[in-house]
Amino acid sequence: MTPPDDEIREEIEAHLRLAITEKMARGASREDAERAARQEFGNVTHVAEVTREAGYSLWLERLSQDLRYGWRALRRTPAFTTVAVATLALAIGANSAVFTVVNSVLLAPLPFRDPGSLYVASFIPTNIPFELPPSLDDKVYVDYRRRATRLTTITGYQQQDVTLSNPGEATRLPCGLIAATFFDVLGVQPVLGRGFTADDEHPGSQAVVILSDHLWRTRFGADRGILGKAITIDGVPQVVVGVMPPGFDFPDASELWSPLSLPTSPNISTFLSVVGRLPADATPAQALAELEAIAQPKPPDPRARRGDRFAARVIPLKDAVIGSGRTPLLVFAGAVGFVLLIACANVANLLLIRSATRRHEMAVRVALGASRSRIARQLLTESVMLALMGGAAGSFVAIGGVRALLAIAPLDRIPRVDEVHVNGWVLAFTLAVSVVTGILFGLAPARSGARHEPQEALGQGARLVSGPHQRLRSVLVTGEIALALILLTGAGLMIKSFVRMRMLDTGYNASGVVAMSVELPSTAYPDSTRQRAFHAQLLDRLAHIPGASEVAAASFRPMSQVGVMGSLVVDGPVKPPDQYSVDKPVVSTGYFTTMGIRILAGRDFTPADRAGAPGVVIVSEAVAHQLWPSEDAVGKRVAEGTGRPGPVKWLTVIGVVSDIVQDGSLDRHSTVYFPYLQTATRWMTFVVRPASGVKVASAMRAALREVDPAVPAQSLETMDQSMMENIAEPVFQMRVLATFALLALLLAVIGTYGVLAYDITERTREIGLRLALGATPGTVLRMVLGRTAVLALLGAGIGMAGALALTRLLSKSLFEVRPNDPSTLIGVSVVLFLAALAAGYLPARRATRISAMTALLHD
Amino acid sequence: MTDARALSRIELLQGTLDLIILQTLRWGPRHGYGIAQMIRSSSADVLQVDTGSLYPALHRLERKGWIAASWSTSENNQRVRVYTLTAKGGKQLERERSQWEQLSRAMGAILAPPARSEP
Repeated sequence: MTPPDDEIREEIEAHLRLAITEKMARGASREDAERAARQEFGNVTHVAEVTREAGYSLWLERLSQDLRYGWRALRRTPAFTTVAVATLALAIGANSAVFTVVNSVLLAPLPFRDPGSLYVASFIPTNIPFELPPSLDDKVYVDYRRRATRLTTITGYQQQDVTLSNPGEATRLPCGLIAATFFDVLGVQPVLGRGFTADDEHPGSQAVVILSDHLWRTRFGADRGILGKAITIDGVPQVVVGVMPPGFDFPDASELWSPLSLPTSPNISTFLSVVGRLPADATPAQALAELEAIAQPKPPDPRARRGDRFAARVIPLKDAVIGSGRTPLLVFAGAVGFVLLIACANVANLLLIRSATRRHEMAVRVALGASRSRIARQLLTESVMLALMGGAAGSFVAIGGVRALLAIAPLDRIPRVDEVHVNGWVLAFTLAVSVVTGILFGLAPARSGARHEPQEALGQGARLVSGPHQRLRSVLVTGEIALALILLTGAGLMIKSFVRMRMLDTGYNASGVVAMSVELPSTAYPDSTRQRAFHAQLLDRLAHIPGASEVAAASFRPMSQVGVMGSLVVDGPVKPPDQYSVDKPVVSTGYFTTMGIRILAGRDFTPADRAGAPGVVIVSEAVAHQLWPSEDAVGKRVAEGTGRPGPVKWLTVIGVVSDIVQDGSLDRHSTVYFPYLQTATRWMTFVVRPASGVKVASAMRAALREVDPAVPAQSLETMDQSMMENIAEPVFQMRVLATFALLALLLAVIGTYGVLAYDITERTREIGLRLALGATPGTVLRMVLGRTAVLALLGAGIGMAGALALTRLLSKSLFEVRPNDPSTLIGVSVVLFLAALAAGYLPARRATRISAMTALLHD
Repeated sequence: MTDARALSRIELLQGTLDLIILQTLRWGPRHGYGIAQMIRSSSADVLQVDTGSLYPALHRLERKGWIAASWSTSENNQRVRVYTLTAKGGKQLERERSQWEQLSRAMGAILAPPARSEP
């Protein structure tokens, strides 16, 4: 572009030679001519320099001119600038906040070596009533690890909570159970000590454990001497052999790691997560085909005969980690993007209105020779400046927004939540969004601003012209209303779904009940006698807590996210349907009354229903109805399915209770209850219903410590908290969507108000004339509100179509509400319509007060 | 000579130099030295353009696309950079000229002797 230095030099030298030649032609000697020419020319170096700068600095000069001019223009209208920057700061900040989470959770690579080549192999039954995470059966895992060639260096892991009891107070901690190759495959090594070896996996070898950096620091004071020392886990001393680097907590916030041990019996199987590396020359499809070939059950495998359906999948590890966390985040990103679009429309409208008032100024500039493109660029510079100011303020909104998001987020439900923070990518995103936003909302005003004909604007007719601008403004308002309607519909659906959840008849009434889960270590409590003794003793202690009005226990309670299911055999002609499976909790006497589960027929368990006495069960209504639709269930006999022919142990049904909702899916489960005195269980949840106003939680903990100080409470919470935890995810989504929807509604209302108010100002003369010619204020009111209604209806119509297309994304989060729920759609449309009318009412009222005289003197 | 210098300072204040250059090039392509000479002679030696202003202005006008530059050989076989007025530059010249005329009329009216002139 700019000629290089030597060209400028050459040009200057040519100048000097020409001057010398001319002077010599006039008769001067060469010496005199040279001296005179140089003197006339001045400092050669200086001229070369300023010439070069002139080339470079032109666009900089224009830019700084535009910036200075823009800044002056923005300062002249502080109210406009404040409203525009505030609107943009909110919208851009909200987008940056959501992007912060999306970036950390969905986009950032996992903190492993070459994370993109890590894939998860999964082969799981699909015809079971619950969803398994991607995993392999342990037998398939062993086979697959030996034979697979497409996926190499395969490793497996599980996670389970363990009790660390020495040193320090007994605590439950998430522990990764990992194959010896686990750290090698991920490419992460302990910073202290060593990883596991194949020897560590052998049964009978010294039990070893690796600590997380976090646990090492908080529990062991970052003591390097911990290596080689034993700590007590689940009652067993285990030697610490390593400490992982800071931040490493895979899988799923593990605090420590133990070697994975697979079941040795062929009749027991366990599912584990399996990860391998996909070499560069293999495709996921090839790996999938190989996995299917290896894993597919073939007769005489009993699974093949039973007709279980399996699905093989090979998916990137990242997808497996993110799991179902993706959809809600994408919904948030979409929703907050809509908010930004609405904000853009609002600011574009403000700019259009402002540019109308600057018509005169622009016309003068055109008349003075400014080119159209120059003016368009000037206006665009102004809008990008606005957006950058909004973005700068928005960065602070984003920091606050991320804090707010994380504060209301159910922490264990957002994967990788500990990695969420504002970083360079977020700032780059904010900058990019600001610039794009500025161009987006500045484009229309810049184009129309540069279109002004000087004579039109300088002439007196200016104020009557409103044509193309008015149409553009109407389009923008309609679009805003449509977007707001989509967001309101999404929020409305989530709110309705939430109300449905809260009003749901769960089948039990455990409000106020405090639940404490206890898992007995198999080392100290190896048999049913000792387990029952512990349970009986703790039940007795709990019953003596002052203010504990009812006390009971169950092997798993509603909303605890664990459960035991199994099949059922029925005595007599009745055959349970194929794949019949029921929940099988083990409960103590009084459990039903404590939990508020209705006994519909027969009786509760009594202490007489103990080991040695006739076996008994209590069934839930659905079981009774399904198995004996026209008969009394009490007195019938059932047995637990064994999967084999042969004799079974019959159990007599002694009662029928109401069905209950067992988990976050909020479906009512078919349940068969077993008396704890006839069944062994190491897992028990103790439930206490306190007299009103009494706090029992710490007394419950104390009672547990008195019975066995080495056994910690796994969880201690009220049933109400537990319910809220189960629906925490939809509630979180509801709150976020509702916030965005309210923001959208607010912006849309402000936008509608602004445009109508400006319309009235522009039409003052016309309205005054109408009033002078006999129109009543009522007519004028109707006229303005009519225009509002048309805009709102049009926007609502378009929005409804958009909502119908988009709310499907929410279907997984909705409970008993369909995404196209008509009453929600109509409800939010009415709300939006009324809000728009309210926004139009103020300007309309002002219009009726226009006096004909003032209007006609308006100019 | 000193007077001329002082004058050249004044006219450099505004985009007038641009106008003069464009006007000069209306009569045909010219190199930098030629433009300087032309300005000097057509203003009857009153205006003498500082090379430190002329060359930056030429390069700036070139960037704006109002004039174009190319290397060629002068009458006495010297390689020189020759500037030509572009179509865009022609339009710009018209605009600046009318502005200038407005300004000079206005200045004339302001600076006219107090004898009141009827509009």
